[in-house]
Amino acid sequence: MDHNSDVYSLANYGLKLAERSNSDLKCAEIFFGKNNHINIEIEENSVKNSEVGDDYGTAIRVINKKGSLGFAFTNRVEKKSIEKMISIALKMMNAGTIDLDFKNLPNQYNKYPDVKNLYDNNLKNLEIDESLKYVEDLIQVCSQDELAISQSGNFLSNYTKTYIFNSNGLFITGKETSCSISSNIIVKDKVSNETSFGYDWQSMRTLSEINTKKIASNALEKAKRNLNRIKIKSMKVTLLLTPFGTINLILNPIASAINAETFQYKRSFLIGKREEVIGSNYLNIEDNALIDGATGSSSFDGEGVPCKNKKIFERGKFLKTGLLHNSYTAGKDNIESTGNASRNSYSSIPSIGNSNFILKPGNHSKDEILKDIKEGILLDYTGDSPNISTGDFSGLILHGNLIKNGEIKEPLNKTMFGINLLDLFKNINAVSKEFKIYGSFHAPFVKVKDVQIIGG
Amino acid sequence: MDIAEDLKIADEKLTYELQKIAKDKIDYWDIRIGVKTGTNLDFTDQKSKEISSYEIIECGIRTFVNGGWGFNVLKNPNRNTIINGFLKAVKLAKLSESLCKNKFKIRNRDPLIKNFKITCKKRLEDIGIDEKIQIVKRHEKIASEYSPKIKNTHTLYLDGHSQDLIFSSFGHHIIQDLSFLRLFSLIYAKEKGILQRSINSIGGIGGFEISETEGANNLTEKTAKEAVDLLNANSPVGGKFTVIMDPKLTGTFIHEAFGHACEADLVLNKESILEGKIGKKIAMDDIKIIDDPTMNQSKKFNLPYELFGSYFTDDEGTPSQKTIIIEDGILRNYLHSLETSSRMAVPSNGHGRANSCSSRPQVRMGFTYLVPKDWEYEEIIEDTKNGVLCEDFQYGYTDPTTGNFQFKCKLSYKIEHGEKRELMRDVSLSGLTLEVLNKISAIGKTMNYSDGICGKGGQSIRVCDGGPYIRTEDITVGGLN
Repeated sequence: MDHNSDVYSLANYGLKLAERSNSDLKCAEIFFGKNNHINIEIEENSVKNSEVGDDYGTAIRVINKKGSLGFAFTNRVEKKSIEKMISIALKMMNAGTIDLDFKNLPNQYNKYPDVKNLYDNNLKNLEIDESLKYVEDLIQVCSQDELAISQSGNFLSNYTKTYIFNSNGLFITGKETSCSISSNIIVKDKVSNETSFGYDWQSMRTLSEINTKKIASNALEKAKRNLNRIKIKSMKVTLLLTPFGTINLILNPIASAINAETFQYKRSFLIGKREEVIGSNYLNIEDNALIDGATGSSSFDGEGVPCKNKKIFERGKFLKTGLLHNSYTAGKDNIESTGNASRNSYSSIPSIGNSNFILKPGNHSKDEILKDIKEGILLDYTGDSPNISTGDFSGLILHGNLIKNGEIKEPLNKTMFGINLLDLFKNINAVSKEFKIYGSFHAPFVKVKDVQIIGG
Repeated sequence: MDIAEDLKIADEKLTYELQKIAKDKIDYWDIRIGVKTGTNLDFTDQKSKEISSYEIIECGIRTFVNGGWGFNVLKNPNRNTIINGFLKAVKLAKLSESLCKNKFKIRNRDPLIKNFKITCKKRLEDIGIDEKIQIVKRHEKIASEYSPKIKNTHTLYLDGHSQDLIFSSFGHHIIQDLSFLRLFSLIYAKEKGILQRSINSIGGIGGFEISETEGANNLTEKTAKEAVDLLNANSPVGGKFTVIMDPKLTGTFIHEAFGHACEADLVLNKESILEGKIGKKIAMDDIKIIDDPTMNQSKKFNLPYELFGSYFTDDEGTPSQKTIIIEDGILRNYLHSLETSSRMAVPSNGHGRANSCSSRPQVRMGFTYLVPKDWEYEEIIEDTKNGVLCEDFQYGYTDPTTGNFQFKCKLSYKIEHGEKRELMRDVSLSGLTLEVLNKISAIGKTMNYSDGICGKGGQSIRVCDGGPYIRTEDITVGGLN
């Protein structure tokens, strides 16, 4: 696989074979994906499992002149199985329906943006023995704390290399690395015997950016902050979303709702809202794939289209350009793809996904915002997510604390809250200048007024 | 049974060589090799979005010494790569062992040498792609023509055939030959600016006959009706209510809020409200909960295929078996893998499951259900003065350390003076698992089940859950109002 020439000749052979075998073919694509991973898992605050793995596979996508798509994939990467997969993909294509919305696969591009630091040689060459020190740090934080009774978590590193070829002459290859660390700590109060958990994680492109102790300490702090929960009465309050909460209630739902496929099938609560001001001035969002070294960055997407930076919301206005497209949805709308085709492995056809999805930080510090809140709730985590087709949200606060006179107080038990996202966007009245990065989401603290809480 | 070529490499000679390497170095090993093929058909608004097919081979080598596990995922299993991969996996286990603090041995089991194969009435291999597509097209047509209010239809058909081999240091050599089929319907309806959706799926272990059952035939019409009905539903008013759960929601409650807490790996990691509760009374006398992933249960439900959560042996080679979890309100057993059963000094009850040969087995449920009692459905409704009847669910989750659960129901009806009244949407139910198991005021007579996919630790596996209608008191109902 590291012999590129083998991949080129296999791909060229495959594309020619597909063209030769079916006169009705409009275009074809061959994708190769290779991945190596290391994973060390801890359970009961002790190393449990050390794992390494290799994966290598290929996917064939063919589309005929009527727009019917056939797809086949295998992890037997050799000439004979590629021949077989092409014949199967063509058979699948012939069986499909007419789709006049399909325009074409992407054409060749002369230039791709230069996005730096997506690949770390140290990470690619990492040995599992060296990875152990990261989990040892996790274990240490937990074992040194009096209230912590258990921890599960892991260290995961990945090296990925992809090749995309299509019959329009497109060819692009790239390699990237990532590593992540996660910690889930259980604490038990010595007097009340109540238990609670806290979770934190980090995903980065390079090893040097991983801060294991910090992640375990954050998880521990969250777990402790959630001990000795109280029930409260139903009321209308100000909500202060932590970065976790901001991802859960603002960034993730918007990223799903502006997926062009969701939009074209009219499944999004943002339909009919383009070019309208639907949020407060604090709602400024962009989807930027071009940040050097960021987890959500890439110079090309899952179909080989160059990536870019797109503005989605500006001062509460949902911009006309604010949809995420792959080549199919873009063709349907007669525009250029935005470079958001997402492809996790060879085993699926490209869907649509966000790049670095960023809520722009504000001018005030988190502490200043907090100080202003007389009575409110700090919301870190709910297991619920909003209904993307209606924007309705109602959920249980799993991690949330009372705020009284600018101070974070007791955690909440059996407390629920509900709001429509369109109301939530309008009610944002502050965004912090501090922000945290969780994978491809860049999230500050966000203050939202007038949220209905249902007490336990 | 025809055995795939790739599985034939696991002969006595290879086992002998691996035993030789393992001797004095590690305590236990197992190797799984799986060969699978399958078809995915994805249609929306009567057009094909994806018609695809695959062929995959996977191999995972797992090793164990004194509390530490090693796992090596190979991309190209053959005699040489397996021996080299095994040597590496031995090192990985030793590496884990050098840092793990919970030392233990795996309890030995008698070797099992057996090939298992399900019988299909219509083998997937014998069905052409066009015939499969006809099924999907028919469902798309039913959905589109159901009502002008239907705005977007989506039908997904998935099938697959797999042969999975496990051979291990116990002397196991087991092959399971299974095939499955699943059908999904997702429909959006819109009227006066209101958009609602409904999803249903049906799945089983078997052949193409699964797509021709009454349940499968009615799948799309049921989904379309629900989506349209939900357009006229109201949002609930929050508060404490008596709640009647239908068999699907009962199953979800038993699986999500209770079942995960019985998984012995979570118990050991102190992520369960059931730690230290074996032999203790945790529920009312009437409560009996079972996990039974054995084959041959479909006749109870009048189905020509095996239940989606069933298996012959788990992914560690332990035969599936019926396990009583709660009886007379007393917690009897956790669900176990080889590891957790060894550590708790009980025999494994066959719940070490993985989503494929390239993933490590975890403790997972199979078919978890609440055993029915004596109430008729009508009696439960008539006997309820003021409450909510909740049918089916959208999603659910539970805080493992507290048992605080939350379920978003699909269809809910107000119950007033013993009568079923208007439909409500997006009702969410919340409570504490152990409180609910002590506040059940009626358990129905008739059992039903549903099938689906359960996620844990990044792995998705097929499961079933179920039970009868049940009535519980003092559940917090949340909504937008």
